[in-house]
Amino acid sequence: MSEIIPFSNKAINTDSLPSVAELVTEPMNEKYRPVNLGTIVVFSAIFITIMSLTRFQMLFELPKELINAYPYALAIVLTITTLLLAYTFFADPKKRFALRENDIHYESGLFFRKIVSQPILRIQHVELKRGPIERLFDLASLQVFSAGGSMHTFEIPGLAHEQAVAMRKFILAHKDTLSHG
Amino acid sequence: MDESAIIEPADKWQRLAPISILYFVASGIKHAANNLIYTLPAFAVSYSSIKNNPEIWLPAVLGTIGLIALVSFLHYFFYTFRLANDTVEIRSGVFSKKHIDLPFTRIQNVTLEQPIYYRPFGYTCMQLDTAGSAKQEAKIVALPLAVAEELKTFILEKVESSIDESTSEQISSDKKEVIINTRSIGDLIIHGITNNRVWIILGVLAPLYDEVIEFAMPVLESVGIDFKAWFDADTHTIWMLGLTALALTFFAMMCIALLSIFGSILIFYDFTLSKSEGKYIRRSGLLTKQEINMRLTRLQMVVSKQDWLDVLLKRINLELRQNSSGVRSANDLSMMSNKIIVPSVKPHECQEIIEDAFPTSNLSQIEYQAISKRFIWRQIILWLMPLTLLFTGIHFANGQATSVSMLGLLAVPLVLGLIYCRWKRWGFAKDQHYFYVRKGLLGVDYYCFPIHKVQQTAFKQSLMMKRNHLGSVQFILASGGVEVPFMPEVSAMNMIDSALFEVESKKKSWM
Repeated sequence: MSEIIPFSNKAINTDSLPSVAELVTEPMNEKYRPVNLGTIVVFSAIFITIMSLTRFQMLFELPKELINAYPYALAIVLTITTLLLAYTFFADPKKRFALRENDIHYESGLFFRKIVSQPILRIQHVELKRGPIERLFDLASLQVFSAGGSMHTFEIPGLAHEQAVAMRKFILAHKDTLSHG
Repeated sequence: MDESAIIEPADKWQRLAPISILYFVASGIKHAANNLIYTLPAFAVSYSSIKNNPEIWLPAVLGTIGLIALVSFLHYFFYTFRLANDTVEIRSGVFSKKHIDLPFTRIQNVTLEQPIYYRPFGYTCMQLDTAGSAKQEAKIVALPLAVAEELKTFILEKVESSIDESTSEQISSDKKEVIINTRSIGDLIIHGITNNRVWIILGVLAPLYDEVIEFAMPVLESVGIDFKAWFDADTHTIWMLGLTALALTFFAMMCIALLSIFGSILIFYDFTLSKSEGKYIRRSGLLTKQEINMRLTRLQMVVSKQDWLDVLLKRINLELRQNSSGVRSANDLSMMSNKIIVPSVKPHECQEIIEDAFPTSNLSQIEYQAISKRFIWRQIILWLMPLTLLFTGIHFANGQATSVSMLGLLAVPLVLGLIYCRWKRWGFAKDQHYFYVRKGLLGVDYYCFPIHKVQQTAFKQSLMMKRNHLGSVQFILASGGVEVPFMPEVSAMNMIDSALFEVESKKKSWM
């Protein structure tokens, strides 16, 4: 005889389900936006410096077309930088995440809002990603992989390293991940 | 080779049968041909210089053949495998060595493929797929057919005994293989006509069109066909010209359809779909016989596809999709094995298969909800308006009508009609256990998947959609994603919430 498994199957009103529409979300780490803005400025500065050094050096002769193109190139780089800065400035605060008992959510998008929800049960493995800049400012990205494939890797950027480690620990310790892998 | 010796735990590394050199030759040629497509532009550029030095051809061809032969032999020489302790180990690679170590219990799928050059000798290729990454994928390149069959049963039994009891109980109820569906040559001809895939061939041939015409014209003229006379506007009226053009188009389409039918027979000849011990087995192929095994529990989604011609002929292409993640390698065999296509089935046969696969689903009767009409407006504002403005601009810029701009403007109502059709086809539905999505343009596709197999959900909303309380929903399954645009925000959220609830509360396995 098999054991009697406690069983209940009450009808559930779908309106009473916990809704993604009413998520209580948390913002990214406060350093996330300044770091992103700073990175853009630094890279743009490096790019402009290389361009200008090439333009004004005396070592070898540049083709005339290249010299004429210099102000335009400069204008383009500056425009792109400004646009990127503006976008990052307004888009980064829109990035938010939420951790519930059974799933993780990540919300983003300035013009196109997107909320991705990942049930913890379906997580196959978790990674912390830290580039050199993230390491410098003690930030980390949490990457979560499911059987949905690499195209749909769930990623939360801009977490404090400690926080990311804690979240990974929570996911790995979750009973569903343990039993289903 | 002694059959039992292969399955018995043997610590010995063994080499493949020498016949496998043929396989390496074939894959070498395939590889070279694939790369040839990339080098075609280079060929086209250097065409004249080659023409001036025709003697370069012979050494080039001989060199290529020699190289392929050498590389094939080296591949054969460095390929060893062993089966020990319920693990497949394969060592391969000439320059970059590869060592695959695959426990039987991790194998998801066993696919047998029998290329034509193996058939007289009774050999077959065995592909072993795993759930996770594309890297952990093993292929035993040549095995005697009987050994392969035995090994397959052995591995699948191992896999079964390792999964939980509840599913294996269910499975062991029907041990015998039952044929669910077969396809006749007639069906395959219909499939060839309705699913024209020869455009790919035509695309590859495109750089050679000039040559073909240059070659073909004198031949055709010599047998009394003179195109110039046919299309001479001086001697013919407009309607005759039109008729001639129509006839020629028709003739070309006939040729294309024939090629496509040939392709369809090549792939699907002798098609059988059968069910045995809780798994589907699909066998088909004229030259290369292919066998795909799919465990019923791995089935993620059923897709019934109808192009406009299928709608007219009342035929359906049914796809049974399973886990496809990790199959990112350009391995065509595993690309094929992540779904079973049942080509051009009749509606009642299609329904039988769906009922067998998803017994509690309701694909044929479910009522679909339409998406918002704003979908039409978005397409108009995003694509149609700018294009129309552009064509109108061109139309009046020169002060005279060009034929291109005229055509462009004439196409506007047509495109409008298509956008409407597209909107009309979109639909979504849900019942207790399944989600259903309908989409299409002239044809219509139906998607049906169990809610508890969802891997991830996404809700998307642009600013305009937000203002109108609309949203798009995307469901990611192990077999890929399905997206429904422009749903009412409430329904979208509701579907996501119930998907998450179903997954997280039932905790059913997706495999």
